[in-house]
Amino acid sequence: MIKLRNVSKIYPNGARALIGVNLKIAKGEFVFLVGPSGAGKSTLIKLLYREEIATRGQVLINNVNLVRLKNSQIPALRRNMGVIFQDFKLLPNKTVFENVAFALQVIGKNKKEVKESTLTVLDLVGLSSKVNAFPAELSGGEQQRVCVARALVNRPGILIADEPTGNLDVDTAWGIVDLLDKINKYGTTVVMATHALQIVEQMNKRVVRVEGGKIIEDKAEEEVRLGI
Amino acid sequence: MAFNSVRYILVQGLVSLKRNVWLSLASILTVAVSLILLGSSIIFLANTSTIAKTFESQVQIAVFLDDKLNDGQVTAIQNRIKNLPGIESVTLTTKEQALWDFQESMSTTSLLEDLGGINPFPDKITIVATDPKLVQGIASQVEKISGVESVRYGQGILEKLLAFTNWLRWIGVAVVAAFAFAALLLISLSIKTNVNSREKEIQIMRLVGASNSFVRWPFIIEGLVVGLIGALIAVAAVGFAYTWLLQYIISSLAFIPVVASQQFLLMVFIIMILGGMLMGTLASVISVRKFLRF
Repeated sequence: MIKLRNVSKIYPNGARALIGVNLKIAKGEFVFLVGPSGAGKSTLIKLLYREEIATRGQVLINNVNLVRLKNSQIPALRRNMGVIFQDFKLLPNKTVFENVAFALQVIGKNKKEVKESTLTVLDLVGLSSKVNAFPAELSGGEQQRVCVARALVNRPGILIADEPTGNLDVDTAWGIVDLLDKINKYGTTVVMATHALQIVEQMNKRVVRVEGGKIIEDKAEEEVRLGI
Repeated sequence: MAFNSVRYILVQGLVSLKRNVWLSLASILTVAVSLILLGSSIIFLANTSTIAKTFESQVQIAVFLDDKLNDGQVTAIQNRIKNLPGIESVTLTTKEQALWDFQESMSTTSLLEDLGGINPFPDKITIVATDPKLVQGIASQVEKISGVESVRYGQGILEKLLAFTNWLRWIGVAVVAAFAFAALLLISLSIKTNVNSREKEIQIMRLVGASNSFVRWPFIIEGLVVGLIGALIAVAAVGFAYTWLLQYIISSLAFIPVVASQQFLLMVFIIMILGGMLMGTLASVISVRKFLRF
């Protein structure tokens, strides 16, 4: 589903964020991306949703090379992909329902579809009772749930999470990770960049460690579970 | 594009107009002012060129002949003039004809007797040149023909008129361009403010896969509406002002040839409306493109 072949990313200012990275993620996998700040995790994530373009190599998603993707083809890519962030990125003047529905409205879905899908996904993330609340009235964890709902409402094949628990306390963070795990079990591929090592250790999922722009360790689910 | 999207885009375009009422109003007024200037200059130029053309077609050379010439000599002079280059027509008005015409205009029948039996009018040849620019050359050649007593034409006046209208034309173009530019800037500013205030929204729209045109269209609609409203104000202003002016000129300055055709006015108004919509759209496209790396 996701393939990186010999990918390097050098920013215009000369910073070498990624150097010769190879990575394969199969459909339905749950992958943690770990490593210190500035290691290249965020760059890697950005390459996946085509916010940045690789300087060298290939970034393939469902066999489409994102390096060659035309700007006009980005929307199609992103409609099959949900992205969540540390800083939520919710619209403060819209209610929970509107924030999630927005993702469907802007891709031209009709009113009925928007309402049904939005309510379903809000139920999935456990926010049925907060449909009409505004983001400011919600806790951090609830806000991130809204973001997850927004990312999922279009039923994407891939969910990308860039430090989704960075602003949350441990218990709330676990709530979000459990939610992502549940989504993964429904079949969505999940790629999550994180600093929360405690969570990574207990989740028994594949762990890819990035440092200095390179993948220095790639532990499969089996190995993690067996503590190899 | 689906109906849902069209509705969303229209609503968004109008909502952002409302959000920045004052900036929108400023943009609308600037568009209106620049289009009023554009419309008035088109009307002004059309009129001056009509006036100039009328004057040009009235430029004739009047050749007065010596009183002592006989008919044969007059015909000979007439023929010599006819053979000069650039002659459109040559008309002879004999002294008898001139007297008759004058008598007619005085509404009397006894002019010759009143003048003591002497006809004071000379024979006159009226020359029309094919091109007003040739008038001076023809006049100087005709002057040299013996038997010609004097030659008259509107010396100098035509040149001054043409220079003046030419000058006005350039001033008009410069003023219109300056205001159109100001209008573009103001609309861009208004659109940029909206793009800024909606930056996060745009970011999310792009993130969830809204198409580029979907992001761009509300702003283009906004610019278009600003341009259109400005243009309508301008059309109304120019329409009322010109109608009033026409009535005044026709009733009290009837000798000035004015352009009053409905078709002409309709054309000016269409140009103004299209100009307004073009300005609005252009300003939007420019300012949005800058903000959204598309």
